[in-house]
Amino acid sequence: MSAQDKMITVANRLGLTSLKDMQGTTRMVYDSQTTASGTHTFFKGAAQRAFPLTNVGANGNQFQVDEALLVEKIGFFVPEAADGIAYGGLNTRSVKFDLVIGNKTVIKDATCEFGGEQAFYNDGTLGSSVIDLEGVGILIPPQVEYYVVAKVFSGTSRVADSVRLGCYLFGTGALLNFNTTI
Amino acid sequence: MANQVNKLAYVDSKLGVSLPGQQTTRVIYDSINAAAGQQFYEFFTNFAGKSEFQTNLTTNKLDSAESMVIKSIQIIMNSTTSNLADHLNLNITVGNQVVLKDFDPSFNASSRGLAFDRLHSGFNDTKNLEVRLLTDIVIPPQVNFKATLQLSNALVALNDDITIVFKGYGRIFSAGNSF
Repeated sequence: MSAQDKMITVANRLGLTSLKDMQGTTRMVYDSQTTASGTHTFFKGAAQRAFPLTNVGANGNQFQVDEALLVEKIGFFVPEAADGIAYGGLNTRSVKFDLVIGNKTVIKDATCEFGGEQAFYNDGTLGSSVIDLEGVGILIPPQVEYYVVAKVFSGTSRVADSVRLGCYLFGTGALLNFNTTI
Repeated sequence: MANQVNKLAYVDSKLGVSLPGQQTTRVIYDSINAAAGQQFYEFFTNFAGKSEFQTNLTTNKLDSAESMVIKSIQIIMNSTTSNLADHLNLNITVGNQVVLKDFDPSFNASSRGLAFDRLHSGFNDTKNLEVRLLTDIVIPPQVNFKATLQLSNALVALNDDITIVFKGYGRIFSAGNSF
């Protein structure tokens, strides 16, 4: 099953029959918090933050009508300062996280281990801070709230850590297309 | 949609393009000479005074018998003070339709282990990045298109250059006959 097929299948199950007529795209949303903490909740309340801290805009942690994202990769990054402009990778840290869509936890107690997936990719000299979702991915439907809860810890000594943190969700998306004159 | 060839043919047929055309790999680009501190750039809308190496278009639409599928986007910055590794906001509009919305390609710059697509990540390069798209995006014939890019930093110096490149599968004019 392709990413597009999964989007259409899930959307049809949810009664979103018009999603198949929308504009296909590649989409990513990110959110960052520039106060150091051991636990971060991303995307909730993101409408209150502006670029470059987040790119979700006024809709916050839900997509508007007939827009959706099939999450295929989840990455974590560390903002370098309070302005959120520059950022780096996890740098030996790992992140334990949940992804919640609506009232349902769709990824539970997963970890993005620093330096994972190295066998498959060449990404320069630094370890990976990204996890690729197995299977085709997970669909965030339109107008359903989503958020990520993340806890930071040392990838080697396995003790809790406190840092600034950001999170991105990347994958195949749909953008609203009226398909008619209005 | 099965592949980029079929998608381009499908969209073209929907729009009434009848000529078969010559299949090709298409690369289009536009470069902007920046003002100091400039953070917002609009590509493919102003071609005046640009050389053939700054842009290979003369108008912000493809010819009547030409179309293309955007498969990857490359951004190149010529600057000693700024970079593409800080957050970016890229939008692409075809016709009146936004086809790439609030996209941040900066994660593919440098080598921080954050790339979407590590085969196309910028190896230790903060000023040259490429993103491979997951979905084919068609630019049909004779339809305006543009790209806007917002930098989060204001470090660009006077006369720095920023270039955007669209690469993909395309169709160019072929009469299929002798004139």
